[in-house]
Formats: sequence, C-alpha cells, structure tokens
Amino acid sequence: MTGAGAGTRRRSKWRTYVPAILLFLAALGIWELWVVARDVPTYLLPRVSEIGIELGEQGWSLFRHLRWTMLEAVLGFLAGSTAAFLAAVIFVHMRAVEGALFPWAIVLQTIPIVAIAPLLTIWFGFTLVPKVVIAAIICFFPVLVNTARGLRSISAQAVELMSVLSARKTAVFWRLRVPSSLPYVFAGLRIASTLAVIGAIVAEFTGADRGIGFVIIQASYRLDTKRLFAGLVLSSAGGIVFFNLIGLLERLTVRWPGARLQES
Amino acid sequence: MRFGGHEPITALEDVSFDIDDGEFVAIVGPSGCGKSTLLRIIAGLLEPTAGSVTVRGKTPSEARRDVEFGFVFQSPVLFPWLRVLGNVLLPDRILGKRNPLAVADAERHARGLLRDVGLEGFEEYYPEQISGGMQQRVALARALSYGASTLLMDEPFGALDEFTRDNLNIQLLEVWQQTRSTVLFVTHSLQEAIFLSDRVVVLSPRPGSVMRIADVPFGRPRDLTIRYRPDFAALNGELRELLQIDAGAAGDGEVAPP
Ligand SMILES: Nc1ncnc2c1ncn2[C@@H]1O[C@H](COP(=O)(O)OP(=O)(O)O)[C@@H](O)[C@H]1O
Ligand SMILES: [Mg+2]
Repeated sequence: MTGAGAGTRRRSKWRTYVPAILLFLAALGIWELWVVARDVPTYLLPRVSEIGIELGEQGWSLFRHLRWTMLEAVLGFLAGSTAAFLAAVIFVHMRAVEGALFPWAIVLQTIPIVAIAPLLTIWFGFTLVPKVVIAAIICFFPVLVNTARGLRSISAQAVELMSVLSARKTAVFWRLRVPSSLPYVFAGLRIASTLAVIGAIVAEFTGADRGIGFVIIQASYRLDTKRLFAGLVLSSAGGIVFFNLIGLLERLTVRWPGARLQES
Repeated sequence: MRFGGHEPITALEDVSFDIDDGEFVAIVGPSGCGKSTLLRIIAGLLEPTAGSVTVRGKTPSEARRDVEFGFVFQSPVLFPWLRVLGNVLLPDRILGKRNPLAVADAERHARGLLRDVGLEGFEEYYPEQISGGMQQRVALARALSYGASTLLMDEPFGALDEFTRDNLNIQLLEVWQQTRSTVLFVTHSLQEAIFLSDRVVVLSPRPGSVMRIADVPFGRPRDLTIRYRPDFAALNGELRELLQIDAGAAGDGEVAPP
C-alpha cells in the first residue's frame, strides 16, 4: 500500500464521520427547539443548552466524580479480565475443569448485577470494594468466552507443525495459542470496557458518597434533571474514552494485517 | 491403519517399502487412499494400528522428538503475526537457539533459504501480503531451515497453478541438490511425481496398498524438458493406466490429466 493510498483512506474515513456528526447536531437542535416550543418544564426535560451550562459550571466537581467512577471501573476491568484470562487458559487445557466450572460462570453471568450490588454494599459498605467487584463480575464473562474461543482458534495443522518441531506445551502456548487468541481477547476487552463503567455506576447507586452513580441518584431525588443529564453525558464520555483506549492498545498490539476481527 | 469412530475406516493396508538416505520418493494415489495418513504415521503424528515404521533406526516418535522431520502441508500453515523471515526462523526459535552467534547465523541461513526459493526482498512482508505460491515457498524454506534429515511433503503444490508449480518444482530440486535430505513427496500429479523423484510409489484406492514402485530412470540435474522425452511419457502412461483401472473401479479418479 502506498502512502498516498493511506492518505486518501484517512480523508475518506473522516468523510464517513460527517453524516454522523451532522445527524447528532441536528438531533440536539431539534431537542432544544422542541423543548422551547412546547415549553417543557426543566424538571422533565432540560434544554440542551441548560445541560451545557450545567456542565460548564459544575464541570470540575463532576469531573472529580467521574475520575472516581473510572478508577472503580478500571480496577474492576483489570481484575475481571485477568481472572477471565486465567480461567480461559485453564479451561482450554483442562476440559474436565471447564465442564465443572463453566456452569458457574453462566450462573454468575445470569444473576442480575442490580441484585448483587446491594448485597455487596451491605457486606463492604460505602467503600471502593463493591464497585470494583461488580465491575469485575460484569467484565468476566465476555472476556472468558472470547479468550477461550481465541485460545482454541488454532488449526490442527499448526498444532501438527509445532509437534513436528517437537515444541513443548509452553512454546505451543506462547508462540501459537496466545498470538492466535489476541484478536478475540481484544474483542472481549472492548465489550468489557464499556460494561465496566456501567457496572461501577450501578454499584454506586446502591450506596456511595461519590462517583457519577452517586451524582445521578442525588440529582434524581432532587428532580435536578440538568445535573442528571450532565452525569449521563460524563459517564458516557468516560465509557467512550475507555473503549477507545482499549482500541488503541489493540492497534498497538495486534499489528499484523487481516488480524482484527471487526475488520473482516 | 484403521480409524475408529462410528464407521471404522481402514485407511491403509499392506504398505511396505524401504527408502534410502538421500532418496527422493514420490507417492501417488487416488484421493482418500491414505497418503496423508501415511505421512503422518511416518512423522510420528499418528500411531499406526498395525505395522511399524523405522526412521534411521528410530521409531517415528523418537525421530520426531529428535526433530528429524521437516513437514510441508498442502496449505502453508504460516503464522500470520510473524513476518516472512520470522516464520522461517520459527523452528530455530522453538528449538532454542539463544546465544547471539547462533541467532545471527540462523538469520543469515534463513535469508539464504529465502533467496533460494525466490523470495529475496520479501523478508519483512506479512504472509497476508504475499500470494499463495509465495506463502508455500515460505513454508518450504521453513521446513528446510533446521537441517531436518527427512522432508515430508503432503501435496505441497497441489493448490497452485501450473506455472507456479513448475517453478517451485525446479527450485525444490535445486535446493534439494544442496541438502540431499531424504524426501517423501505426496502428489496427485503423476507428471510432478516422475519429474521430481527417484522412485514413484503408486497406492491403490482405499484401503491404500502399494500397487507398484517404479524406478525413475532420469539423471540429475533435471530440467522441465525431460517431460517431453518419450520414456517420460511412456512411464507416465503406464502408471496412469494402473491408477485409472483401479480408480475407475472405485469411481474416484483424482489423478489429473497431463
Ligand atoms: N482422523 C481421522 N479419523 C477418521 N478417519 C480419517 C482420519 N483421517 C483420515 N481419515 C480417513 O482415512 C482415509 C484416508 O485419508 P487421507 O490419508 O487423508 O487420504 P489422502 O491423503 O490420500 O487423500 C480417508 O477415507 C479419510 O476419510
Ligand atoms: Mg491428503
């Protein structure tokens, strides 16, 4: 591929964003006009400009709440993903363990976190722990399933090749299984990154003295929808940034052509 | 060789032959007669249900543990995350050449092999970025890279077009001329078998058994023009007839026309 080709691709990539941006701006405009025209009370639906002013005035204090939520989300993400990766490695090498434990993973996945969160708050109080645990639980399953799938995504012939080379199990693992799994692992991590933020916020609903979830709950008690929306905007911004950081990490790690799953 | 399962399959029966060190032997036979199975048994990847194989005085799995084999599959089986050079160096990495001298040596050797198979200048490409024929050249260079005494090739050029295949045949012979390893070359092209080998082993339809072991009378080095010689055509015709009679009976002729 030539440099000129890459250049035009970047430009056309920008061009594909243009309709999305225009649509987004148009939607905000319609929202603003509709609220003004119908005279919708602020406590039901604030105007876009009011949310913007709230963000401007309260920006710094809201940002400090966001930082706290993101800390919980990132810690949970790291813990959950690491545990999931290790579990996947064990599952792939020991079928019996997989048979015994996978049902538990499914149970864990099907219990609504909204139900576990209050329990964890009772156990651990208004601390960081319940939030991190909830974020970890919510990250666990997608990373587990994708990683296990990735570690298995090796061809029989590649295994035979390693066998012809008399490769040890550790060599098969590090030189074949792990690289093959990376695109799948990142697919799982990308899902987990957005879920982690949601998990942290849900846990904050059940008992917290700071964080975006705390902001949202407080605002809703006071019918302060401006602040509520400002919280929503920030939490979604946090999720988007996290998601894109994982995407960046993926681009730096998985560099070979044709590797990224989403591109095929 | 019998495979278990719902309906047990006898894939090979009564296959027996000896191969000299440094000999180039081609194996032909209709599809499904057990050619791949035979190579896998020899390579120590499959245990035969009956019979035995000895490779330079060892059992196949002993020989495999001593890394006596190079294996080239029908598909290249390259690692897409490694560049061309990295793929050729993979065996050295796995076999654990750690000291810097050996590493530098291995790399020089790998580059030389890539030149021999016509891939100079492509060392830093990823497999995804080169053609199927080039990928198979990389697979060949990889199999040759660690001095294996026996090269097992399972229809390595079967998926390639005729011209690429001719090219690769010539390059294979050139490289083999230098290494003189023992080669077992499975193919479904009689012409390729005769052109490359010292002997052609013809297998019958499933369960595969040896129908004929034909000596190939041509000296080396060879070039593609020997295919036009009358004795080449005669041998080709003779073996084809042998295969077609039996393949016809099984309703499963795989051997391509010349
Ligand atoms: N692992 C296996 N389990 C069961 N049957 C197999 C297995 N491998 C090969 N076979 C069967 O054995 C026969 C010979 O296969 P193969 O050696 O691949 O033939 P060829 O390479 O000559 O086309 C085929 O009928 C095939 O279906
Ligand atoms: Mg085969």
